[in-house]
Amino acid sequence: MAGQDAPGRRLELLIARLLNLGALASVTLLAIGVVLMALAGRSPLEPADQSLDLAMIPADILALRPEGFLWLGLIVVLATPASRVAASVIGFAAQRDRTMTLVSAGVLAVIAVGIALSVGQS
Amino acid sequence: MIAALVMMGGGVAAGTFGSLLGLGGGLLIVPLLTFGFNLSIREAVAISLVCVIVTSSASAGVFLQRRVANLRLGMTLEFFTALGALVGGLIAFTLSDRILAGLFALLLVYVAISMIRRREPAKRTDVSPALAPPTPPGIPPAEASEELAAAVPPIVDDLAVGAAVEERPAERGQVVRPTVLDRLSTPDYRVRNVGPGVAGSLAAGVTSALLGVGGGIIKVPVMNLLMGVPLRVATATSNLMIGVTASAGAIVYLLRGGIDPLVAGPTAVGVFVGASIGSRIAHRVDVRVLRALFVVVLLYTAIQMALRAMGPG
Repeated sequence: MAGQDAPGRRLELLIARLLNLGALASVTLLAIGVVLMALAGRSPLEPADQSLDLAMIPADILALRPEGFLWLGLIVVLATPASRVAASVIGFAAQRDRTMTLVSAGVLAVIAVGIALSVGQS
Repeated sequence: MIAALVMMGGGVAAGTFGSLLGLGGGLLIVPLLTFGFNLSIREAVAISLVCVIVTSSASAGVFLQRRVANLRLGMTLEFFTALGALVGGLIAFTLSDRILAGLFALLLVYVAISMIRRREPAKRTDVSPALAPPTPPGIPPAEASEELAAAVPPIVDDLAVGAAVEERPAERGQVVRPTVLDRLSTPDYRVRNVGPGVAGSLAAGVTSALLGVGGGIIKVPVMNLLMGVPLRVATATSNLMIGVTASAGAIVYLLRGGIDPLVAGPTAVGVFVGASIGSRIAHRVDVRVLRALFVVVLLYTAIQMALRAMGPG
């Protein structure tokens, strides 16, 4: 039965904490980016570079440029559900629940395929 | 500067109304960004997906803590919603703005009709915590309270606690291995009909990535009506799934240069704040009046979207 055993409950609580933390972190990063946008007089309607450049993010953050915080916030937003699935794979494997481990790994695989296809086409 | 404040204010309004009405922000954010800020439908859909993930992550955590969401069921179905979202995200880049506008208009009409048909849920005093209304304090109920959940007859919601699990006979000395459905069920209810759940999840995923919504509009009725999942659990489980569903689609947009960070930031922060406000004031607002007003707004927006679909390409 779903979620009734102690390890299952622990996994649910771990995932809950992960989701709460991810939401809080992402909104905080995005909010910092918005404040920096306001301070720099940047408008969301101005043409912006929409291509993600991971290498630029640390430099942008150190220079307090809004793009650095906004991109990092967006990455945390999108990574939070995936990290929840990754935690599920580990959690179900620890419970020796082979079926749910495979299902969770399958979800991760779909996300990975999406990343691979998108990188290939971009 | 002013544009960022207006965008954030729009996000707050969309988040608040969405939260009060049990709707996802996507239905409001896409028209807001397309008509208010002249973004293309595809750009608006990408931003909407980001907002949907933020609100879903915040509320799904609370649903899990309260043991309302069914993690195993959600994980199983979201394999198919993620697959659908991946396909939808790739298709979205091949469709014109006019076609996307037309599809969005159809979605708005569908939601408006469903809201008209919506019934007020009967007050219950004898439900277990797992079946009690999932209303996390200070957290948006996000997409799933949901759009159309209450358009569904409350048959399954009225399952007697503990009476839904069927006993399966076993021969003497024979070990009965749990089936997939056994693994997805709980002592409070028994899950049935995985097939329609798979089909509904695929459709929800495609819809989510194409139109920037969470897909709960499809998942909740399928889980509730066809799979035997109580409405409140279906709502919370759908909410849990929305994060993975929307992120599978949003990743495609992100990596193909479809998300503008300067637009996403103010909008997502606004929606998050609005959804939190909505969940705090929900008990003080007469939602029936708001819902009637909202149906008018939905239909008006549907007409505008239809005109955009028929306009010059």
